[in-house]
Order: sequence, then C-alpha cells, then structure tokens
Amino acid sequence: MNRTPVLSIAAGALLAGTLAACGNTGGGSSTTAFDPKTCRGGTLEVLNQQDITHLDPARIYTSGGGNIPSLLFRTLTTRNRAAGADGAKVVPDLATDTGTPSDGAKTWTYHLRSGLKYADGSAIESGDIKYGIERSFSPDLPGGAAYLRDWLVGAKNYAGPYKDPKGLSAIETPDPKTIVFHLNSPHGDFPYLATATQFAPVPKAKDDGVNYEKHPVSSGPYRISTYQKNKKLVLTRNKHWSRSIDPERLACPDTIDITSGLNPDVINQRLAASSGNDANAVTTDTDLGPAQLSQLQSNPDLAKRVAKGNFPYTYYLTYDTTKAPFDKLKVREAFSYAVNRNSVINAIGGSSLGYPATTFLPAQKSMGYQPYDYFPAGKSGNPAKAKQLLAQAGYPHGLTVTLAHNNTADDPSGPEVATAVQDALKSAGITVKLQTVDSNSYYDTLNNPKTQPQLAVAGWGADWPSGGPFLIPLFDGRQIIGSGGNFNTAMVDDPAVNKQIDKINAITDPEQAAKAWGELDASMGKQAWYVPLYHGKDLALYGKNVKNAFVSDWTGVYDLSQLSVK
Amino acid sequence: MAAYLIRRVLGALVVLLVLSAAVYVIFYALPGNPAQLVCGPKTCQADQLHRIETELGLDQPIYLQYWHFLVGIFAGRTFSGGPEAIHCAAPCLGYSYQTGEPVTSLLLDRLPVSASLVVGGFVIWVLVGVGLGVVSALRRGRALDRVVTTATLAGNSVPVFLVGLLLLLVFCVYLRALPFPGYQPLTGNPALWAQNLILPWVSLSVVSAAVYTRLTRTSMLETLAEDHIRTFRAYGLSESRVIRRHALRGALTPLITIGTIDLATSLTGATLTESLFGLPGLGQLLVTSVRNIDLPVVVGVTILAGAVIVVANMVADILYSVADRRVALA
Repeated sequence: MNRTPVLSIAAGALLAGTLAACGNTGGGSSTTAFDPKTCRGGTLEVLNQQDITHLDPARIYTSGGGNIPSLLFRTLTTRNRAAGADGAKVVPDLATDTGTPSDGAKTWTYHLRSGLKYADGSAIESGDIKYGIERSFSPDLPGGAAYLRDWLVGAKNYAGPYKDPKGLSAIETPDPKTIVFHLNSPHGDFPYLATATQFAPVPKAKDDGVNYEKHPVSSGPYRISTYQKNKKLVLTRNKHWSRSIDPERLACPDTIDITSGLNPDVINQRLAASSGNDANAVTTDTDLGPAQLSQLQSNPDLAKRVAKGNFPYTYYLTYDTTKAPFDKLKVREAFSYAVNRNSVINAIGGSSLGYPATTFLPAQKSMGYQPYDYFPAGKSGNPAKAKQLLAQAGYPHGLTVTLAHNNTADDPSGPEVATAVQDALKSAGITVKLQTVDSNSYYDTLNNPKTQPQLAVAGWGADWPSGGPFLIPLFDGRQIIGSGGNFNTAMVDDPAVNKQIDKINAITDPEQAAKAWGELDASMGKQAWYVPLYHGKDLALYGKNVKNAFVSDWTGVYDLSQLSVK
Repeated sequence: MAAYLIRRVLGALVVLLVLSAAVYVIFYALPGNPAQLVCGPKTCQADQLHRIETELGLDQPIYLQYWHFLVGIFAGRTFSGGPEAIHCAAPCLGYSYQTGEPVTSLLLDRLPVSASLVVGGFVIWVLVGVGLGVVSALRRGRALDRVVTTATLAGNSVPVFLVGLLLLLVFCVYLRALPFPGYQPLTGNPALWAQNLILPWVSLSVVSAAVYTRLTRTSMLETLAEDHIRTFRAYGLSESRVIRRHALRGALTPLITIGTIDLATSLTGATLTESLFGLPGLGQLLVTSVRNIDLPVVVGVTILAGAVIVVANMVADILYSVADRRVALA
C-alpha cells in the first residue's frame, strides 16, 4: 500500500501523454440537446474504485439517499435533482410533501403518494418505512448515521426488531398511508434526515437480516440484475416503477452497469479516452488526478467533459480551546493570521481542488453562508500581525506546538499539508513539531479527548446541505463526549451558542434556518475556535455520449438518476 | 517416501498454526478498531460501539477469539445475523461482517482470477526467460548476448505498474487493439478471457522473465563448464545432444525450486497487477481487507498464501529429487 504515492506520480506522467493523444482524436460531448422525453435507452457504464459499502438500506451512510442507492431505494423525501443551489433543496419522494411539523417541530407527519409499488409488484405501505428504520437499530446491521437514535423519543437503547419485536413507539402508522415521528426535541431539519436510506421501505416478510442485502426489494427505478461484491453490479429497469409515481428521477438508461475495483488512474485514463463503451461511462468516486488537471487548459474537448461541483466540506486546524496556550483568544487569532492558505491548497494539489476558507461554512446558499474574514491573512499569511498578537498574549519569543497529521500522502490531513502549515507558522515565530498518526486511527485519535493532539489538521463534511449538521457536532457544548466519537475538538461549550443552536433547530423554514446558521457562524468566527483552511472542490470526468451531467450543491457530482447516454 | 510425506504434512500444519496465531497477534497490535469501521464514519456512540463489539466477538480476549477460529475450521461456526443465525460450515475460516460473506466463499470466488493471472504470466516468464537465457549463454559475449543482458537489466528495474500503464496507453488508447481489461471467467468465453488477460500477463511477467533469463544464463554457463560436459564432448557426442540431453537438464534443475515458489507467492501477491488492471483477485482482496481491518479475511488470505507456499515447497523438493538423482528424499 505504501507504493501508492509512487504509482500516482508515475501514472500522472503517463496520463499527461494519454490526454494529449486524445486531443488529436477530437470528440467532445454529443451536440444533440438533452430532452427528458426522448432520453430513454442504452447502457450507462459506471467505473469506480470502491464498491458500494452495502446494498442494505439500513447499513448505508450517505446523504440525500446516495448516488447509486437512490436508483434502488426511494425514501420519504429526497434531494431535488437540479444544478447548483436548487439541488440543495429537499423535495418529497415517497411522501406527498416534505413533512408537516407540529408540536413546535417535535412531531412530523407524512402521507404516502398513491400507487407506490415495489419491484415485485406489492404495495408500499407506511409500516414498511417504520420497519426499515427499526431494523437499522439492530447491532447486526450497523453503518447508518446516529441521528435517529438521538432524535426519536425513547430510541437511545433500542436494539432493533429482531431482539425487540415491539418496535419503536416514537414512530406511528395510524393507516397504511400515514407515518408520524415523535422527536424528543424540535428538529426543523427532519425533512433532510428523511432523505437517508434508513427511510426506505423494507417489507418485513422479505427481511432476512444480514442476508437481506443479497436481494433487497427495490422501490426505485431499477432493480438488481446481477451482483458480485467488489466486481460488478448490473441494474435493469423496475417494471413497476414509472415517472408518474416518481417525479424526481428521470431514469434514462435501460441498464446501469457498475464496475468496481478499478485503479483511479485507469478510470481517468478510460474516461479521457472515452473509446467504445467508455463513451457512455462516468464515475461516482474518482476525482480528476493532477495529470488530467494540467491538461484541461490545452484540451478544450476534455475540459467540456468535466463536471465541477462543491460537496460541502471544510478543512481546518483544530486545538483544544480549554488548554494553554489556546485558551487565550489572542493566541488563536495569531494562528488564524499566520496560516498560509495558498501553500496549503498547493499541498493538496492546487486551486482546482479547493478554495481558501475564512468562514467555517462553505460558500453555499443552502448552508446560509455569510462571508467574513476577521483575521485577514491574505493569500500567504500575515506573520507580522501574528507575532504582534503572540507578544500581547505573553509569548514575545514565540511558542512551540505539536501538529498531528496522518501518514497518507496527498491526503487533506497528510504530511504535505502539515508541512505547509509548519512553514507558515514558522515565519510567525511558532515552532511546529510534527506528529505522525497512522491513517487508520487518525480520527479515532483526534476524536478522543484522552488522545487528542495539541494541534491537528481535520476535515468536516455535511450529512445534508444545511448549517445544522455542519456546525452542531463541532460547536455544541453538549456534544462533547469524554471517550471516543467527539467531534467538538475545540471543546467549545458556550451557553449562548448552545441556546442559539436550540433556537435554530426549531425553525422549520429552510431559508430562515439557513440565514440563522450563517449569522451564528459569523458570530462564532470571532472566537477563532477553529482555523478554517479551505473548502473542497470536486471535479469528475464523463464520457463523450453522456448528457445531462449537471452537478448539485448537495452531492458535488453528477446524478446517476438524471444522466442519459442516448 | 510415505514417511517423508507425513512428516512434511505435519510440519506444514505447524507452520500454518503459527502463521495464523501470528496474524492474530499482529492485528491486535495494529492501530484502528474494526467495530468503529463497521459502525459508520461518524457519530458512533460508545454504547452502540459496544453492542457491535459484542456482536463481532471483539469484546472477548484474543486467545478466545483465536480458539473459536480454530474450532470453526474443524467444526464450523454460527454467527448472529438478524432474525436467523448464519451457519458457517466446516472448514469455516470465519465470516466477514463488512462484506457479509463467509471467508471461504470469498477466497474461492477470488482464486480463479488470481490463478488465471498467475499461471498465464508464469508460462510467459518461464518460456521467455529460459529461452533467452539459454540462447544468451550459448552466444556468450556476442552481440545477441549483450542485447539480452542489457534488456534484462532494464526489464529487472521497471516497476509493474509502469509497464502496465504503458501497455494500456499503447494498446487501449493509441492503437485501440484491445479493450481495457476486466476479468472474464475462463468458463464463459475462453477467447474473451485470454484477450482480457494478455496485458496483465505481460506486465506481470516482464520482471520475472528478466530475472529468469539471468538465472538461466548463469546456470547454463556453469553447467557448460563442468567436467562431465567436457567428458561428453570428448566422447564425441554432437554439440546439440550435449546441450539438449545433458547441459539443459543440469542447468534448469535449480530453476524448478525458484519457479515453484515464485508461482506460489504470486498467487496471493500479484497485488499491483491486480489493482492496476482491476482484476478482483486474492492480492486485491488482501489489500482491501487490511485497509478495512477485516480480520477474518486477512487471516483467511494469509493462511491460504501460507498453505500454497508450504505445498509448493514440498512439490519443489519432490520435483528436484526426480530431476537430480543425487538428491534423495529422506
């Protein structure tokens, strides 16, 4: 495994040649306009490195219902299939609306559309959604997010229907078309959570526990034709699905052929060459490598076939603000002034992979982004100002800190980024000692207060595109966990912040909530509890025949349910 | 011979036992918690983590876990799996919670892929290596010998992935003579199987072919300089008979051991070639499982690799004694 870095460099050199060759052969995207009415037919090829973690909706951790899972599983709500900021909205899926809140957003009621069927022709009922959620609590089927456990009344210690067949009383199904959720505190974000695959219906009669993922019952536009773990997943049409009962998914290709276990350089080589069947190919897990990036300028045909997006993600420096020297605001400010965001972005591969961050929230409307830059470090840092602040804080001769990073090359928390931070802080009189932590245990080490390093490079992504899941785990003092799984690494516990979080959680209008999250971020930024470094960008190639490859702010990559190869 | 075999088989079992125990111990020393990975990327709470650890048996002391594993090989095991328990029949090498498959079926699924790759590559590197080595030795010091020697030096120093990417570039991108490889089972369409494996075979065999050329050349030169060859020549045997009947036999005997062991190690060790060409073989399985801390699979692949090498060693010794009568099995 430690040969990988060498591989990518050598591959990069070779791929540069590949892409130059492709420029001569011409091509580019097909010229006929995309029309949803005539887009049906053909086979879409998906070339991926990793197989989907699980085909059991209980075990999938993904936002918005996922790219591949969303082809098989419909959920109560889903992400809006649209480009940019519009794509960060929640829309109804199995339900008729995004949910009716009552009792101050502590109760959420949904009604199912009529005519909903599984791929075997049987009807989808609200009890199946309740059962699907309950089985995700089984320790035999772990992997999903913990929100349901935290939010539903009396769910904390529920062990799933196999051990406790009585089920969760927090979910009621008064009739086969209605489902009601009772939460222990107000959550205006509930419609976002209902996009997760745990909200997919599972017919109890077909559930055989860990083996269910060998033959999950499809509710989406496709069903599994053949599946070989870590090799191939072939999806064909679900005859009982139609656009009349699902207004969100277009489902243009007749077949979707997903190959996994491929090398990232080869995936990009194939997408760039786009020959034969690869003209119909896309990838859902491979970003453009440095080699292709350097070719985009000189190769307009290739540049046309790049889908650009921003999956909401922030990379930052983190320290424990209850411990010296970071308990002093002036020290935190000094670090914020000293960082060189340009060199950090260069360390991860350049400006096409990230943009500088001075706010914690990414620059996206649905997150409620409000621009601010309280400690202007410019592009390359302001060491003079940092030195001055350190002197005021009682460190006229600078100070020494230990910075942790993982041992994966080119990783956002890897050695290159750590070195870039080290260099920048050095000019401000801060001596940085580096501490290497094995990549497998990097986040275990960081997220356990007993082992948390003094200073670390970390990243945080959204489970759904709203300020809540982005800010709460990192800034809510009540989320501090003494053992593992603590994400509030700054150890912030500010009653005013906690109170404001509760207040915004109760807002059920997404636009108002977004505005409030943005204001909270802008006010918390003054405390320099974290030092934002950059936000990620996503770039993915697609084959010459592929149409409608728009990118939403929710997923940062094109949507398999909307692509066409015809 | 029978006593010899029994002794070797017993020795092999001890080796495998020690090997599997070592993998267990090493895995416990490694950083990372498998239950954490199974639990999900974020917000896995302590009580939930504990429940999964109990389910996976990770809360038990290491020696007990190892004992259950050993018993499973002979008696089979039962795992918790939701409404009904999952039975893993003997010989049960464990159950991978991350992929939801018994380890034995994962191994059996991957074995044909690795075997297809390695056997094909082996045939190429032995034919090319021995052929070039013999020719080079017979033309010692001449132009052909120099070309071959230089080429082997180059072949010896090129990494597999570089050869692989170059081949892909030339044959799949520029010439478009071959499709981008993907594994096709031999039982389906043999022509398609071979077409997809040509490039992986060639990449896998370049380095070994170079090594075998050098070994064969040296060995051949040594044998040709031995007394009995001089004697045969003095008897007036034709040069071609001396080489084919006597020199080759002597020269190739040492290659039997090396070849058998190389074949065995590549079966689970052709990781780079497998991942470059997207071949779902054992090497790729091992790398993914180590990354995911999927202990049962890692132990399974290691035991399989160990077994194959132990068997290959026995086979090599037997073949050697057949080829060289001076060596007796005892």
